Amino acid sequence: MYKKKVPLKKSDLIFGALFLIAGIAVYYRVEIALNYNWNWEKIPQFLYRFDDDSGKWVSNVLMWGLFNTIRLSIFGTLLAILLGTIMGICRSSKIVFLRLISGTYVETMRNLPPLVIIFIVYFFIGNHLLPYSSIGDALQGKDNFLVSLVTFCLAPPEHLTTFLSALFTLAIFEGAYITEIVRSGIQSINRGQWEAAHSLGMTKYQQMRYIILPQAFQRILPPLAGQFISLIKDSSIVSVISIPELSFRANELMTGTLLTMEIWITVTIMYLLLTLPCSLAIQKLEDRMAQGLR
Amino acid sequence: MSAKQFGDYIIRVDSIGKTFDNGVVALKNFSTNIRRSEVVVLIGPSGSGKSTFLRCLNGLEEIDTGSIIVDGILLDDNKKNRLEIRKEVGMVFQHFNLFPHLSVLKNITLAQMLVRKKSKGEAEDEAMQLLQKVNIAEKANVFPSQLSGGQQQRVAIARALAMKPKVMMFDEATSALDPEMIGEVLEVMKNLANEGMTMVVVTHEMGFAKEVSDWVIFMEDGMKVEEGTADHFFSDPKMDRTKLFLSQIL
Ligand SMILES: Nc1ncnc2c1ncn2[C@@H]1O[C@H](COP(=O)(O)OP(=O)(O)OP(=O)(O)O)[C@@H](O)[C@H]1O
Ligand SMILES: [Mg+2]
Repeated sequence: MYKKKVPLKKSDLIFGALFLIAGIAVYYRVEIALNYNWNWEKIPQFLYRFDDDSGKWVSNVLMWGLFNTIRLSIFGTLLAILLGTIMGICRSSKIVFLRLISGTYVETMRNLPPLVIIFIVYFFIGNHLLPYSSIGDALQGKDNFLVSLVTFCLAPPEHLTTFLSALFTLAIFEGAYITEIVRSGIQSINRGQWEAAHSLGMTKYQQMRYIILPQAFQRILPPLAGQFISLIKDSSIVSVISIPELSFRANELMTGTLLTMEIWITVTIMYLLLTLPCSLAIQKLEDRMAQGLR
Repeated sequence: MSAKQFGDYIIRVDSIGKTFDNGVVALKNFSTNIRRSEVVVLIGPSGSGKSTFLRCLNGLEEIDTGSIIVDGILLDDNKKNRLEIRKEVGMVFQHFNLFPHLSVLKNITLAQMLVRKKSKGEAEDEAMQLLQKVNIAEKANVFPSQLSGGQQQRVAIARALAMKPKVMMFDEATSALDPEMIGEVLEVMKNLANEGMTMVVVTHEMGFAKEVSDWVIFMEDGMKVEEGTADHFFSDPKMDRTKLFLSQIL
């Protein structure tokens, strides 16, 4: 793509100088005043280490955490989209009762601190709604393809219950935002689309399923992708209920090794590696949509 | 046009009334009967209730009083009846309302498959025939946004025809078109009328009304002011209101 060269202005130079000074100040605090003892060489082993027993390279705690964060983000987003779509349809429904339910859901989720929601939903689901707990039990001790699949996609059987609780908690929390995105998407579709579908004899369900939702989703793809990034970030909150995702592992490791700076800088980079490509992809997507390409 | 043979009444509208939530009275005690193969043109000033009348006929709006019977089916609260009537009455809109996320072909096949339960092959055959009929078969695989207004409207007509409706309604089908495209759409409508389709047409094209219509209704403020055969209506209107309106638009 053709990029115009941006001429440097005076203000750019001033801001550049300020950044440089700030950088030097931080460097000074850490290196000289704090006299921090860097131990970078200890970090890689927490990502991957060489296992003497099997003679292979195996992943270690930080990577385990990263994988859990990815699992929570992907499946959490999928669940949240499912929930958000249903609630978003209710939200734009003509039936008052459905609007009331979805409205209450959205307002509750948006007006409480995430931490409080996590605890409430987690303990409610975790302690009272565990129809799936028997799934974990049933899988335990067996060694077959299903177990490896579940372990790879979600969590090992013994931790499945906790993991699913956290997953549902995140989905319920994030679903509220997706509900609003879906609602705005549905309402952005011209009334004429409903009317044309109606006139062709389609049922309400068919109108929604084949005419309105496909167009709505095309339009809300960028904000939905944005919500995926939000979920990557928000997933760190389930560390408070001891789900070993990335920031939980980092915290654990920090307590054990006292390599505070190295660990958190590493974790920062790991999160950015997840979120930045998504951000860039969204920008591309929005550019393309602005150009009217389908 | 007088050689045309009409059938029994396919649409019976008996003193219907419609008041919107905001208090606007769009239809007042409006009655009319339409026979099979008849082409009825509805004219009247803006806000006189022409669109509302069409929209009531296919259940897009609910009437408050009176009754509507289409092909022997009463348009009441019964969901099945309402759906049945929607299938029998096709509608063409001022702004086309094609589905922008579907190709021209899919625009025409979707409802056939969903509503008429046709197979994909059958639906596509039907669609291609209709596209040929409206002279736009070569555009089957493009998206609506790549078509001109006139082309879009012809696709919209084909889409409605694919449902094999017994009545076709046109709500200012040419009003949003550039002048040079109006002709091609009117041509399609004329052919349809000559084939014996029952049509209810809201239009400002008086040439079309004179040439094609069997019956003209002039309405104002939700009421029928005057009606008659096209000859009669245009050459010898009785009411002052009609004369004034005709003098303004002719
Ligand atoms: N959804 C609605 N809610 C409230 N009022 C409405 C609605 N639709 C139409 N109206 C009003 O009802 C009256 C009749 O409208 P209608 O669209 O049927 O007129 P029309 O004869 O089709 O006019 P035009 O030639 O401008 O299309 C108008 O006063 C209009 O403002
Ligand atoms: Mg109108």
